[in-house]
This record gives sequence, C-alpha cells and structure tokens, in this order.
Amino acid sequence: MAMIIIDCAARIEAKNGKLQASDWLEEMERAGIAHAVIAASDEFVTVYNEQGNRQILELARRYPEKLSGLAAANPWYGEKALEQLEEYLVEGLKGLYLNPQRQGFLLTEKIVHPLIKVCDKYAAVVYCHTGTPVCSMPFQLANLARTFPRVKFVMGHAAWSDFSGYDVFPAARQADNIFVETSCGGKGLVRRLTDELAPERVLFGSGYPRSNARVEINKLKSLNLSGEIENKIFYENARNLWNLDLSD
Amino acid sequence: MKIIDCHTHFPGEVLGAQPRPIEQIRAEFERAGLCGAWIFTVDGLRKESARNNDILAESTRNHRDFFVPFCTVDPHDGAETAIKELQRAQRQLDMKGLKLHPWLQAFSLTHPAVLPILRKAGELGMPVIFHDGTPPYSSPLQIAAAAEKCPQTTIILGHAGLDYLYNDAIIACRRLPNIYLCGCAVSSGYLKQIIESCDINRILYGSDGGFAEGIVEHAIDKYLHIGLDEAVRQKIFYDNPQKLLPTRYKNG
Repeated sequence: MAMIIIDCAARIEAKNGKLQASDWLEEMERAGIAHAVIAASDEFVTVYNEQGNRQILELARRYPEKLSGLAAANPWYGEKALEQLEEYLVEGLKGLYLNPQRQGFLLTEKIVHPLIKVCDKYAAVVYCHTGTPVCSMPFQLANLARTFPRVKFVMGHAAWSDFSGYDVFPAARQADNIFVETSCGGKGLVRRLTDELAPERVLFGSGYPRSNARVEINKLKSLNLSGEIENKIFYENARNLWNLDLSD
Repeated sequence: MKIIDCHTHFPGEVLGAQPRPIEQIRAEFERAGLCGAWIFTVDGLRKESARNNDILAESTRNHRDFFVPFCTVDPHDGAETAIKELQRAQRQLDMKGLKLHPWLQAFSLTHPAVLPILRKAGELGMPVIFHDGTPPYSSPLQIAAAAEKCPQTTIILGHAGLDYLYNDAIIACRRLPNIYLCGCAVSSGYLKQIIESCDINRILYGSDGGFAEGIVEHAIDKYLHIGLDEAVRQKIFYDNPQKLLPTRYKNG
C-alpha cells in the first residue's frame, strides 16, 4: 500500500495581491502529497491577516480532501488579532501560524500570549517558523511551550539552519508539547530526530515554497527508515496532531 | 560608592586590541572609580588557553588587591584536558573563576565537554562567566539549558543577553537560581527592565573595560541615570560580586 503523505509546512504564495494556490496544488500532485496544512505568506501573514485568512479558509473548504488551513494573526494587532484568530478557528482553520521574524516580535515576548490562550481554548495547534535569531529560536519556542503546556507547538523547519544540529534537541526535550517539522534541514537531522527525540514527535514538511516537496520527500525516504516510522512521520503524527479526518 | 567591575579584559592581540601593561589598565580603572575588577584573557579565548592563563596570572600577580583573574579552557581540547587546566589554573595560578566565550571559542553549548567542565567548576567553587547574547552559539537560553543541568555551578550571563536577547536573559535568571546577570554592554533602558525583573541579589555590574579607555566610566554612568536607589546600586556594584568571590581589595 502506498504511503499517504501529509505535509505540515506549505505556504501559499502571494502574487499580485492574492494568494495563488494553483502552483501548490500542482506540486502536491507531482509529489504525491495527499493533504497539506497550509498557511498564508508575506503581507497576508504580517499585515493583511483578515484577507489572508479568508482566502486560506476558502481554499480549505474548496479542497477539503487536500487542504487544511492555519490562521495568521499578527500579535501587534492586539484585540483585533484575537478576534481574527477566534473567528477563523471557529470557522474551521486548524491552528495558528506564527512567523516572529516577519511579524516583528520575539517568541519570548508576552505580546504573543493572548493568541496562545485562544489556541488553548480551542485546542488549536501553533505552528511557528523557527531558526532565525534573535526572535524565533528553539529555546524561545520551548519557553513558550513550557508556559502553555496544554498547547501543542510545531517547531517549523527544525530551526534550520544555525540551530538544527544543536538546540533543536535539548529544546524539544524541554517541552513534550513540541513537535519538530523536517523541512529545509539536512538528512542527518531527521535521522537524529527519529533516533534521539522520538519518531512520534517528527512531522514531515515540504517547506514550500522555500523548499521543494519532492526533494523533501526524497530526503526522508532516502534514510531507509522502517515502514512504521515513515508512516508516523509522513502520515500518522500529522493526522493525530491536526485531528484530520482523511477518508479514503 | 565602592565598585567592582565583573567584566573586564586583559587586552592582547586579538579582537583589534592593543596589549597594554597591567599597571596602566589598573590605573585607568582606578581613575574610573573601581575598587576592583574581575579580569579575563582575550587572547586565550582564541589560542593557547593554558599559556594565556599563565600570562594573565603572572601579569596580575602583584595586583591581587585589585584584580581577580579568571582562567579559560578550550572545550575542543576535550573534557579531561580542559578540566586539568581548570584545576591547574585554580591550584597553581590562584585564578578564581572561568570565562567561556562560545562564539569566539567556536563551541556549542551542546559540545560534550561543556557540562563536565561546568560541573567541575561548580565543585571547585569557581563561577563561570559566559559571553552571551550572540547567536548562534551564545544565547541566554542555550546557556540556561546547560546551567539547568549544573545546579551547583554559578553561571553568569556576561552580557545579560545584550540588547537583542535581554528578555531571554531575564527568563533564564528568573527560572534558574544559579544564573546571574552581568549588565555589561546592555543599553540602559533594558538594564532597568533587567534590574526590575530579576532577583536583585543576582545582578552584577560589568563594563568590558580594558579594550579602550572610557568604557568603564560609560558603563557606570548607565547605572546612575535609571532611577536606582542607593541600596540597589550597592548590591549591584559591590555586595553581589563580593558574595560570589569575597576579595580583600586595597580600596574596598
């Protein structure tokens, strides 16, 4: 039976003032990705959250078998961001997408806490870009995860590049509610994640458009992991984390 | 006001510094108002740590009523060699603490020699001061993760996270009782937040003095204009370092 692949790290590119999903849908087909958890990008993450979230929700509703979505909410919008996040979680988006370096805050700043509390209320997952000093580093995410132990966090891109070989491991061990997403980093990192962390806490991500979905799939497959572990990373962990109902 | 500077350097040939006689540095520091200074090798962070420990120890030999010399070791030498040097520096050279500089010495806090070195320093009663605030090797929470595993060792974040990561330094200090913050090179507004957010008994003053004249005065000045009362300044400038490394200073 063919492996079902769920991608936990795809972002829909913004072109001409609109999120354009066609390229990504074609890439999914080419790569054999069954389902992707998508987020907006660029100005729709930083400034125009409402417009971006509406488009992400429309895509998730239009392609429910293929796409689930994350809401973007820039914490600097304060109450407006909370309303925005709550509204779109109620409408069916699966979690919150954070990109501290683009949105302009440190993961250790309390300005983000109200958004995490909303995620806690709705049992929503927080996906966070990591790897960029000084604002989105592994131990900063671990600190946030320790502060909100009921909320599940995804350490996006396994903090590639400077931190992948080092901080990812001790940081993830500080908080059991952290999952590590594999895109962009090296092969050896994924091997170490399965060996030294836990296969149950590793999620496949394409990192699209920063990376290429097929390259990322090949990276994992070339490790010759056991079928059981591959299935966890490509499918089972994501299905459980995002509470996906993927009917055959 | 008696002031002990917990972060000064014996300038050597690296980092663009010019070697200067220790007497000249002491005179400069005393003019700036210091009664004592913890002092670290610079060259030893880049090469020949043992030889540079010898140089610093010898240079300060006749100035132990003012300078408190810290040694360094190189984790890349391996835990066994580094620990031997640490012990030698304490027993033979009478050095009082350990300075580590992860980015200059090019090691990650996850290097396998780091924890054994830190634990040994704790056993020997030698506080460890880190350069911090500089990704990718020297963030406060990286150091805190190591400090958390060495609760008997006093760990000092030598720059309290610098301006970019002072928030992380506050978190580290509030979480772990063995972490101290030295406000060296932190902007005064952030310094105020650090002091207001952390255990005042674990805040130290430092300047980076030694690289050039005027640094010490500028660093002291930051503490004089952020609304600290006398008792708080007394702790930061004198009581706290004296509790960590009690020293009989000539003028202190």
